[in-house]
Amino acid sequence: MTSPAATAAQPTLRRPNFVMALGVGRFTLLIVLLLIVAVTAIGNPRFLTAHNLLNILFQVSTLGIVAAGQTILLIAGGLDLSVGAALSVAGLATALVVVATGSVVLSALTGAGVGLVIGALTGMLVATNRATPFIITLGTMTFLQGVAILMSGGSPINGTDALFNLFGMGDFLHVPWPVYVMLLAIVAVFLVLRFTPLGRYAFAIGGNEEAARLSGIPVRRTKIAFYALNGLFVGVAGVILTGILDSGLPSMGTGYELRAIAAVVIGGTPLIGGRGTVIGTLGGVLLLGLVSNSMNLLGVGANFQSAVLGLIITAAVLLQKKA
Amino acid sequence: MTTIESGAQLAIRVHGVTKSFLGTRALDDIDFEVARGEVHGLVGKNGAGKSTFMKILSGAQPPDSGEIVVGGKAFKALDPAEGRAAGIAIVYQNPELHLDLSVAANIFLGAEPRKAFGVLDDGAMQKRARELLARLGLNLPVNKRLGDLDIADRQQVAIAKAVREEAHVLLLDEPTAALNKAQADFLFRLIRDLAKQGMAIVYVSHHLDEVLDISDRITILRNGRKVAVVDGKTSDKDSLISMIVGRTLDAVELHRTERSTGEAFFILDNVSQEGRLAEVSLTVRAGEIVGLTGLIGGGANALAAVMGGLDDRQLSGQMQLAGAAYAPASVRDAVARGVLFIPEDMRGRGLVMSLSIAKNISLAALRSIAKLGWLSLRKEHEVATEMSERLDLNPRAPSREVRFLSGGNQRKALLGRAIFANGKLFVLEEPTQGVDVESQRQIHDHLRRLAGGGASVVFVSTDLEELIALADRIIVMREGRIDRELSPAGLDPERLLAAIQTPSTASVN
Repeated sequence: MTSPAATAAQPTLRRPNFVMALGVGRFTLLIVLLLIVAVTAIGNPRFLTAHNLLNILFQVSTLGIVAAGQTILLIAGGLDLSVGAALSVAGLATALVVVATGSVVLSALTGAGVGLVIGALTGMLVATNRATPFIITLGTMTFLQGVAILMSGGSPINGTDALFNLFGMGDFLHVPWPVYVMLLAIVAVFLVLRFTPLGRYAFAIGGNEEAARLSGIPVRRTKIAFYALNGLFVGVAGVILTGILDSGLPSMGTGYELRAIAAVVIGGTPLIGGRGTVIGTLGGVLLLGLVSNSMNLLGVGANFQSAVLGLIITAAVLLQKKA
Repeated sequence: MTTIESGAQLAIRVHGVTKSFLGTRALDDIDFEVARGEVHGLVGKNGAGKSTFMKILSGAQPPDSGEIVVGGKAFKALDPAEGRAAGIAIVYQNPELHLDLSVAANIFLGAEPRKAFGVLDDGAMQKRARELLARLGLNLPVNKRLGDLDIADRQQVAIAKAVREEAHVLLLDEPTAALNKAQADFLFRLIRDLAKQGMAIVYVSHHLDEVLDISDRITILRNGRKVAVVDGKTSDKDSLISMIVGRTLDAVELHRTERSTGEAFFILDNVSQEGRLAEVSLTVRAGEIVGLTGLIGGGANALAAVMGGLDDRQLSGQMQLAGAAYAPASVRDAVARGVLFIPEDMRGRGLVMSLSIAKNISLAALRSIAKLGWLSLRKEHEVATEMSERLDLNPRAPSREVRFLSGGNQRKALLGRAIFANGKLFVLEEPTQGVDVESQRQIHDHLRRLAGGGASVVFVSTDLEELIALADRIIVMREGRIDRELSPAGLDPERLLAAIQTPSTASVN
């Protein structure tokens, strides 16, 4: 604590002593990242090659885009569990259009537009109802999963070569295109959060919604904008994933919601909102990618990998700096 | 001082209880006792120590020293569970019950009748609830969801629950604040019945007429000390008021400054709101500071909410601001017109604790630090630094999070936000509630300076000295109406309190 006034203003939450002694907390993420790098580099020399590191970035690119959008929502005290299902729907729409027209531009605009519309509708539901975003988006998630199965007829939609050539195979200066898109998404969210009124509103609404309202912030409209923006990111991720997978699949977004939220929380944004950074989220995304990659290189089985990821996510939440 | 006649059994005895907050004595060496079957009134100004004392009795806060003897046991401090076990129950004006449970389930919460294997026995619970309510003369549907009942009924459920818990000391905190006359009368009958059956009742209220009506004895607190214990049957309101206010008239008069006021800036014409406001007409001039006061529920806060654009439900009548019609549908509309509402609960409703001082100050006027839609963080920092200097904000560190500030400085930061948002009409609730004397003086000075610069200030306060020191006019509200208007010049707190307590016969308005 910095001053006597501080202790007076708010009772401090006590944290376990061993955590204090280790001085981790804020640097948990960094320490874990370095440990993983060290262990894996020793176990497998291929790990630290540029090729492998680029590969990791490529693998996490769609997760990074989804997590960037989710960061804004979590800071604003919101949450969207339907992003995985929405990604599937957007991806399938992209696939259907590219199969029908062969146009990359048209299909990409369709996928992004579908995501945007789904996000905006979700936002309207959340902003105008008293039910928590958790419950509302749990409902829309189930609905969208159904929509995805209906759209695909339950089987993959193939014939998406044009997208595959761009996002699955294409690169610029040896860096795959999806990596650029992810970095663009991260930078965009960073700028919005730090330098625009909309971004400031996210912190204000997440920190104290009533104070935001009493400051004249249009809380409802702003929330809808956040969900719509998040939807746009999800739509873009859907387009790219369709290219990477070279097909549209009804299950292509499954699990994205949890991994995206985990990345945001690992990155230091508390679930109660009011704080957070998208740079932290990028760290969370990289951590998840590194762990998967290093376990692959070390020959760890898939089931065991899932358990380890779960442990890391739980530990990150428990160690999160108390606001 | 009156004492309990010998032979009466004590239900609760408090001896030498003292409590300080941050070096300020909130309670100083309080002795207090209530006999079985007695209704004991507790009165005092805001800040006299009533709430702290109730918190100590109910176990919500421990005293620094002293002891509490209840149920034959002496306690240095009670926790809520011990308090309940010792037979102390507290009922607030808005009872802490579970709105989604039935009346019976609320009454028996934590002690539900059970059948074999721990299965809840709903039938037995309803039967016993019905019996209990009948015994208390209460006519409540035991199966109804509590949330579907009104406040008066909920209060009765809370009291029934206390009886079920075999409480023998019942603390009632402002129980009639949200009740109408008939509901209040019913409550008084219930209180008298319970007292007859031997329950000791502590009755805290600002309504002195009620306290005199219901209490056997009355304890008066002032500045954390017990001033007197008087007999409720032989005392009158005037003597209570003089004991509540005391003779310690400090130099509030000296702070008063004369300002010239300008033209009518804000006009309320015959404004009514269902159940809250009735035919309120009021004109506030530019450069004027108007104080609103009254008993809880009198309408001062409702009026402030209407002015600030917080509540436009079932509103009728006309409002004018700066010569144009004013009918804000939201706070946003009000802010856009330069009307800034500053709530009493600054932590819950005012500040964003996770943000810095600078970001809290700029929040209502981000546009003025933005260029082409992009925020200038440097300009924000400059503006906040300037505002911190202007408002004597301590520390002058705009990037420091507001949660690290003292209460007085948090209130200043909130005022800074309103000023930076180019406020023309400032509507404040209890502008100096809970701040130290120095900060209070500074905040009063800032508000005077704002008025001196041509802004209008309307503040709701229950602090008598504050009303007299700060307001150019004091408006007393009662049952949603303007009951009377007072000039603070030459007014002493005692007469102001008497005016708040007693309806005027002729409307001054």
